Amino acid sequence: MPKHVTLPREVAAKESRAILRRAIRLALDTESAAVRHNTRSFNLNRYRAIAALPDYDALKDEARRIKEHALANRTALLQRLSESVTRNGGHFFFARDAQEARQYIQEVCKRHSVRSLVKGKSMTSEEIHLNGALEHDGIRVVETDLAEFILQAADEQPSHIIAPAIHYSRERITALFRRKFQTDLPLDTGEDLTRFARERLRQDFLAADAGITGANLVSADCGSLLLVESEANIRLTCIAPPLHIALSGLEKIVPSRREFAPFIELLAASATGQPLTSYTSVIQPPLTVPVVDFRGVGPATREFHLLILDNGRETLARDAQLKEALYCIRCSACLNSCANFQVLGGHGFGGETYSGGIGATWEAATTGQLKLARFSDLCTGCSRCATQCPVRIDIPGLNVELRWRLNKSIPLSLMARAMHLLLGSSVVEHASTQQIFFAHYDRVARLGTLFAPVANFLLNVPGTRWFLERSFGIDRRRHLAPFPRKTWVNLCANEATQKEDAAQGPQVLVLADVFTNYGAPERGKNALRCLRAAGESVRLTKSLPDGRAALSQGMIETARAQAEALSEYLAVENAAERPLLVVEPSVLAMILREYRKLLPAEAFRKLQNSTMDLVQFLARHLAEQGSDPCAIFDIRKFAPRPRVFYHAHCQQRAVSDPSITVDFLRRLGFEVTCSQVECCGMAGSFGYKKDFYDVSQAVSEELVEQWKAAENAMGPHTLLASGVSCVEQLQGATGRAVLHPVELLAKLL
Amino acid sequence: MQQSHLKQFREQVSATGATMELVARSPEAVRDAVLARASTNRPILIAEPRYLSPDYFRPLRSEEGVLTSPYAEDYRSAPVGVTEAFAAVARTGSVCVDIGADIAGYVSLLPRLHIVVVDVDRLVSRPSDLFRLEQFARPTYHRSFVFISGPSATADMGPLVRGVHGPHELHIMVFC
Repeated sequence: MPKHVTLPREVAAKESRAILRRAIRLALDTESAAVRHNTRSFNLNRYRAIAALPDYDALKDEARRIKEHALANRTALLQRLSESVTRNGGHFFFARDAQEARQYIQEVCKRHSVRSLVKGKSMTSEEIHLNGALEHDGIRVVETDLAEFILQAADEQPSHIIAPAIHYSRERITALFRRKFQTDLPLDTGEDLTRFARERLRQDFLAADAGITGANLVSADCGSLLLVESEANIRLTCIAPPLHIALSGLEKIVPSRREFAPFIELLAASATGQPLTSYTSVIQPPLTVPVVDFRGVGPATREFHLLILDNGRETLARDAQLKEALYCIRCSACLNSCANFQVLGGHGFGGETYSGGIGATWEAATTGQLKLARFSDLCTGCSRCATQCPVRIDIPGLNVELRWRLNKSIPLSLMARAMHLLLGSSVVEHASTQQIFFAHYDRVARLGTLFAPVANFLLNVPGTRWFLERSFGIDRRRHLAPFPRKTWVNLCANEATQKEDAAQGPQVLVLADVFTNYGAPERGKNALRCLRAAGESVRLTKSLPDGRAALSQGMIETARAQAEALSEYLAVENAAERPLLVVEPSVLAMILREYRKLLPAEAFRKLQNSTMDLVQFLARHLAEQGSDPCAIFDIRKFAPRPRVFYHAHCQQRAVSDPSITVDFLRRLGFEVTCSQVECCGMAGSFGYKKDFYDVSQAVSEELVEQWKAAENAMGPHTLLASGVSCVEQLQGATGRAVLHPVELLAKLL
Repeated sequence: MQQSHLKQFREQVSATGATMELVARSPEAVRDAVLARASTNRPILIAEPRYLSPDYFRPLRSEEGVLTSPYAEDYRSAPVGVTEAFAAVARTGSVCVDIGADIAGYVSLLPRLHIVVVDVDRLVSRPSDLFRLEQFARPTYHRSFVFISGPSATADMGPLVRGVHGPHELHIMVFC
């Protein structure tokens, strides 16, 4: 018996961690190479396209506004749309769920004695499992989008929202077609394969009794559809058969055709990275052009049905925390800019229909089953997608919310209760032992530091790593840094300079974030040295948890409590609202981005105004003072060739421009090469978790490749990364020491 | 203004994989340019213009192998289709073809080569400009239309392939 090979369909519905693990294995073993190549090329093209869009940000604002307004007025728009379609001579139907939608389409097809039917790509039809129902009625259903054509031949679910067969390499398509269609025709190039599919499908188009399409947008004022495509299969599906059925979710309705305008260029740029894809159709069906009698059955009149689907969308629209998922325009920018998605694709990181970070909310909403959002665990919260989304959906925020709800749905285990007690959690929140462990990094690390010699001895005792893996799912292959004997706060409390500064009254505050405090105290100390060398008087705050670690585990209540406590402490400590400088980027992004949802508006605004990246503050401050940074930071003190390879932290890029740091380093005389990856793959606790270790390693490969390419081209580089976890990941992957920018700067003093 | 738009349009058309040429605003020039581009391929299907004067296509219509009322079989086999565009878009290299009422929907879609004729005066800067034009307020005018940006294409079979279910070539003639 051959060993059982996992098929994509078997792991499509990820209702348990076990299935998620199998899906990840499948994706990494068989689909990753094609997915990496294709998503990264989409992503690169997208960056080029949005850079060329002169009013990208304004278009995003407009698109977001239109979606917000349309969704708030959905009931009125639905009514108006129904009237418009009827006025045009079409038929309108509102389906509350998948079953109603299938039944309606089945009945229309029966009434028209439809025997064969062509389909344009429609995720909504995937969502309602339409093909199976129609085939059950004896109808021949032909998917005409080439990617869907591949999937139909392979019987697989889509792995990407706009390129559903993105996991197929050219070679695998050739093998599939040979097996499936038993043909000797040449199939060895993209041209061959396309010609083969085109010639088969052209006959199907012209013989079809009906065509089914989706819609990118629908206008209520005149019943128009916006349809975006490159292959012309949707155009053919709309025009060749006499019967056209369009199927669309209720979130696609906008008031009028005018509202299509901002989406046209925005969608093309965000999706395929083109100014426009080959065909952007604006049609108001039924088309008035006569039906050409390709089937040889005599004259026929056109008929059009618009089916608007609820299937969980109305419930989602009433869900204050998750409703923004409905603004999604299905462009896939979030998938292509997601480091984990880039190595997994939608069979690993996705459900039966929808995939990637945005897909988890959609799967849960359209199936009504929260457990099917399990794959949201693959969202690390790196936030790269949030800045790429053309309608500014906070996708990491959605996934944190889903994680919180999933946690709530599982009873708190005895072991988890014990951990809460042991760690003295202020909020006893539902979560797994692993989540509680990582969420309370500050408490675990404080214990480790207090008992550093013993704790570090224990880390090296055989069996400890086994225990940590069994109890907390911490992968034993991952290096764990020893606990320091002194924290950052301990180190600096004894410094004379600290007292002197305190006497003068500090100009700036430095946040003793927990990650630097326990994980890299020397780095913290160097940060203060740099500031003082630049003439700043500095005070280090107490080290309080900021909530980042808890939030990443979906422990929103703990995160909120910690955010509030930190904010209250700072309100007193920093009543004068002096600059609050942060070394660790994940904490910087926590305050500048996530606190918006966790804190009252006024408290958030205060922190938002005062908090900034420490190195960027230094660079800007010296520039404002007119000081020459080279007089303070002397490049001649740097022994190796001053050449660095810099990986800027993912979350940092969501809140600040890393080019400020890069420009500053260049000003000092460094040659800087920047990584072009979205995330290093460690993403806080993610890369430590046994379930995700392999994903994390796969993500890091591209970063390592880029570093190697830079060294091959120009010689040795000093490695530089701004986050605690990026430093760990890079050190692990390269075996070389990795510096934080402040550590590099301190070497010039 | 129009000159810089035209320059941008030309660059973008080429980026989409289409070709373009400037053609004198005369019926004979249209005929000669279409016949030259179509080479010996016949039949040539023609969709009657609704925005340009029908006169522009008149000499072409009387050529042998040129059809204006094709049958199903002609649609199946015709290698060349000629339509007008009611607008063109500089930034995206697109032409806008009305597919609502006449046979332009088929003629611009089924043949391997689509030749499209557009007046330089109808060149706008961005797709959104079309949604602002006064005539757009009357829905019957452009009840259904398509922005065509290059030939049909796919990346689903591995590398980029031009020529899928729609035309393999798009040739744009601009009246100047």
